[in-house]
Amino acid sequence: MAAIFRPAANLASKVALLVVAAGVLIAAAFWWLWPRTDYARHLRSMIEQPVPFSHQHHVAGLGIDCRFCHSAVEVSSNAGLPPTHTCMTCHSQIWTNAALLAPVRHSFANQTPITWQRITDLPDYVYFNHSIHIAKGVGCGSCHGEIETMPLTYKARTLTMGFCLDCHRDPGPNLRPRPALYDTAWQRGPDTPSAAALMTLYHVPDRTLTDCSLCHR
Amino acid sequence: MNRSDKLWRSLEQAADNPAFLEHAMQEFPGLAAALAEPLGRRQVLRLMAASIVLSGLAGCDSKYGGNLIPAVSIPPNIIPGLPNYYATAHVLDGYASGVVVKHIMGRPVKVDGNPEHPASLGAIDVYAQAQLLDFYDPDRAAEISRRGNPADRANLDAALSEQRAGLALRQGATLRILTGSVTSPTLIAQIEAVRRQYPEAQWIQWEPISRDAARQASQIAYGRPLEVLAHLDKAVVLLAIDGDLLSSAPGRLRYARDFASRRNPSRTASMSRVYAIEPTPTLIGSVADHRFIAGPAELRRIVMALAAGVLHNTPPDSGPTWVGPLLSDLKAARGRVLVHVGAAQPAELHALGHAMNEALGARGATYDLIEPGSPQAALQADAMKALIADMHAGQVSHLLILDSNPLYTSPSSWGFAEALKRVPFSVALARHADETARSSTWFVPQTHEWETWSDARAYDGTVTILQPQALPLYGGLSAHAMLGLYLTAPPLSTEESVRKIWAAHLGGDPANGWSDALAHGFVPGTATAPSDARLRTEVTASSTTSTAAPGDGLTLLLRVDSNLWDGRFANNPWLQELPRPLTKVVWDNPLLIAPALATRMQLTNGDCVRLAIDPVSVVAPVWIMPGQAPDCITALLGSGRRAAGSVGDGVGIDFYPFAGMTGPVVLHKEKGRVELASTVHHNLLMETPPEILRHGTLAQFLADPHFAANEHSEPHLYGTVPPGPAAWAMSIDLNACIGCNACIVACQAENNISVVGKAQVLREREMHWLRIDRYFEGEPDAPESFFQPVLCMHCEEAPCENVCPVGATVHDSEGLNVMVYNRCVGTRFCSNNCPYKVRRFNFYGYAKEQHRPAQSWNPDVTVRARGVMEKCSYCIQRVAEARIVADRESRPVGEVRTACQNACPTQAFTFGNLADPQSEVAQRKNSPLDFAMLEKQNTKPRTTYEALVRNPNPAIKGQPT
Repeated sequence: MAAIFRPAANLASKVALLVVAAGVLIAAAFWWLWPRTDYARHLRSMIEQPVPFSHQHHVAGLGIDCRFCHSAVEVSSNAGLPPTHTCMTCHSQIWTNAALLAPVRHSFANQTPITWQRITDLPDYVYFNHSIHIAKGVGCGSCHGEIETMPLTYKARTLTMGFCLDCHRDPGPNLRPRPALYDTAWQRGPDTPSAAALMTLYHVPDRTLTDCSLCHR
Repeated sequence: MNRSDKLWRSLEQAADNPAFLEHAMQEFPGLAAALAEPLGRRQVLRLMAASIVLSGLAGCDSKYGGNLIPAVSIPPNIIPGLPNYYATAHVLDGYASGVVVKHIMGRPVKVDGNPEHPASLGAIDVYAQAQLLDFYDPDRAAEISRRGNPADRANLDAALSEQRAGLALRQGATLRILTGSVTSPTLIAQIEAVRRQYPEAQWIQWEPISRDAARQASQIAYGRPLEVLAHLDKAVVLLAIDGDLLSSAPGRLRYARDFASRRNPSRTASMSRVYAIEPTPTLIGSVADHRFIAGPAELRRIVMALAAGVLHNTPPDSGPTWVGPLLSDLKAARGRVLVHVGAAQPAELHALGHAMNEALGARGATYDLIEPGSPQAALQADAMKALIADMHAGQVSHLLILDSNPLYTSPSSWGFAEALKRVPFSVALARHADETARSSTWFVPQTHEWETWSDARAYDGTVTILQPQALPLYGGLSAHAMLGLYLTAPPLSTEESVRKIWAAHLGGDPANGWSDALAHGFVPGTATAPSDARLRTEVTASSTTSTAAPGDGLTLLLRVDSNLWDGRFANNPWLQELPRPLTKVVWDNPLLIAPALATRMQLTNGDCVRLAIDPVSVVAPVWIMPGQAPDCITALLGSGRRAAGSVGDGVGIDFYPFAGMTGPVVLHKEKGRVELASTVHHNLLMETPPEILRHGTLAQFLADPHFAANEHSEPHLYGTVPPGPAAWAMSIDLNACIGCNACIVACQAENNISVVGKAQVLREREMHWLRIDRYFEGEPDAPESFFQPVLCMHCEEAPCENVCPVGATVHDSEGLNVMVYNRCVGTRFCSNNCPYKVRRFNFYGYAKEQHRPAQSWNPDVTVRARGVMEKCSYCIQRVAEARIVADRESRPVGEVRTACQNACPTQAFTFGNLADPQSEVAQRKNSPLDFAMLEKQNTKPRTTYEALVRNPNPAIKGQPT
């Protein structure tokens, strides 16, 4: 009786085993690494918005302060998104017929809110508070990146728990002198107080910043 | 009262029943029952495979973004992320109690008491707390209907205009307006306006929880209806005769505060002494220094004897031995004594109460009499009977029912249901399509009290303004708007009507006065002045000699339910699942019987009996209530609703058919049992009494103020001290706790705690973070009772933390034992290792199945998922907010009040920063009465208790009978 398997079957079975093993490894690596890619984290990916609002133009070009639109940032957990009313304070006077701004005018005229696409989001079990970060000298750019260079806003930092903890373990390098908090062009210079000095200035060491209960409730 | 006496929660525990003990020693007693029907091998494999696949898929959730929708223009004062607070009131039985509603982005999420309102002083009861769910209730009606068919406003307007013409022809002689008790000056004015238009129309006020006896007694004693306004902070000796001061009397929140002000001997120089005589246990009886049990006949004899002693100095000849010492105590405290008679007692006893109080010099000292806020000439029961007779006689062509449900609540022997059928045109205004609404010609959905302007008087007459908290969620009309439809003159808006009435009282600039009144929630200076009515002398003489006594068989006591009131809250899941203060029964209303009666009839908890008063009979389960009078059966009203909504329908048994029945009560044992869900055995602590709850007498306290203090503290192996700038801690005063449950509902509302349903409670899976343990001590027939709120102790050496394999429960730097939900994998080791049994596990995804819309949750607290452990966090969201506010300005953290502390009518809870020696909690912890629960465990709990001190009369020996 002829053999069921020819000698080549040895090779085939070995290759098959290797392929399966490699497949498992690759799947595991993919499963592990994929969520850590910038792509999966939507880093630097621009999303189409109802109005192509440009921070580059409004911040770097016109020099509008962050707080003109995000007015609750110093008092509330929520920085606040500008109501249509805020847009119309200027755009009732300038660019009044621009096609790009039609949704804004429509919103104002019909009392229907503009639906923006969310860029930065934290899970529901994280209770981030803008006001305390501003009060302790963390500038907007530390989390939101170089907003003044963005023609369309994108997510510039991962905002993972690791990202938060890096700073909560050593906040000094991210602290700014108070006048520079909203200054998007600010860079640490020779005159800037040292990280340690800023830590003392803002009373940061008074609290353990790695308590779970600081962010999770 | 000895520290080594046995404490017990149930009769099984008192008797050391072996089956019970075995049950009590299990960590998850419900688990055995859950595993009683094992799955087949294949089914297990299928489920495992499915869960692996599904858990993989769950990880693939790549939803990104979502929408951000800013307002077109932001309303003034609304800042995203910050709460707003608006004052309004909760009106029950006509009486208002001030509340403050917390809004986030315009959505009500929490209700607290109004600290400035005289009836609240910041406290709130379970009903007002639970308004949040009533407001968002998805079962609320949204459509006008005519004989059950959808109709619209135009149809209603057309029908009403036709009716108006017909009514005007006969001066409205066939028009009747039926409401609950009304104290709202605006509503009263509107009804008067309707009656000016239809002079022959009649207005009937009817509440199923009757206060007629007190009204009638005042009629006898003073010649006109007057209400008692007690000043319990002035009463050194208080005699509560079947008292409802702390449970259902108008002003109960204020009474509880005043009562507690004289109960802790480490803070008051003259501790009060409280006597209670009652047939069935009440809250005030449970916290009284002496509780005497007496069925109606004996109670009447005793009150007669007391009255004879007080009024005529007749020494008590027969009866219990304690009557003499009680009498001398009452007389000795002349001018500082108060005799209070509960609403359920007959008018005769109320009249005697008035006579005794006047004779004891109490009037003007410990209580005042005031004119009632609600204009009522007749007794409510008489008015209602007359209405039903008129309806039967065909003299009513048009019946307007405003927020009342007489078809369910009126005694069936009066025949309201049949009478309603003879009324050609009836309109019911109600929030739900309830029993009455379904039988009326027209049903009009009513707005919630948070959706309309209104006003009402508090227990002391203070005018309280109700302002809308939101636009109507389900449309509908308010009672004011509904009455407006009956007036030919174009009505004012409801706000204008309310405002117009109070403009004169606001003084100064009316606009500012009005906004001040809205901000404070009431119109200052509108409390009713004490009446100077004189007691009619013939009352004092004649009534003491009256000797008619009721029969000596069984008596059925129909009582207001501590959770559902008269049934109006039956569709509220928080209230349905709230363990009742004394029985701890949820989702049911068994008949309460005395242990002696249970022994005689061989009944155990849950056994069914047939209760009959000819011709009505009903089969109901029983619950054995220690301390119940042997000849009395207590039935709680408000259950067994037929048209409450999806939560309340068919829960429990309707005992209203027995109302007004006077025949002999017959009780037979029936076959069958009902599994009653009671939390009385849940989270049982099997320890010696002093480890759990310490109590003593005033004499003991005076001899040694530290009699209850912890004896020793063991050294600790690690002895770590949290390094943070604050040390959060709590002190609970057992002298103040009256077991009212306000804290439990407050905690549930604040911390997004799920309701789990009767089946899950039977498996001991209720989720309340805070429970009130009720203990008995002594003989089952007449035990002494104690309340002890138990929540996470936030142990410095927490046993739960050492056993968590994933670090899901850890300490933070300020001593909080925190639960990190996202780390929790559900081993439940922590709960197993917790000596206080305060951890709760999400066996199912309860939060997903709640009967409430998403916007009703507190956005500051994580909603927990299935498979996650949870427990009291000391309201960490409030601590976190306070930390942020303080840290923003780099100053020490200020006051933080937990939800339970805010709600508590008696200020039993104190929370704060132990590191600040000036804080109230630090001072309370220095009290000589301070002790730690389960101190031998050496867990160093941050929550400690102040031991209970009672002030018994040394002249009364032995166990009270």
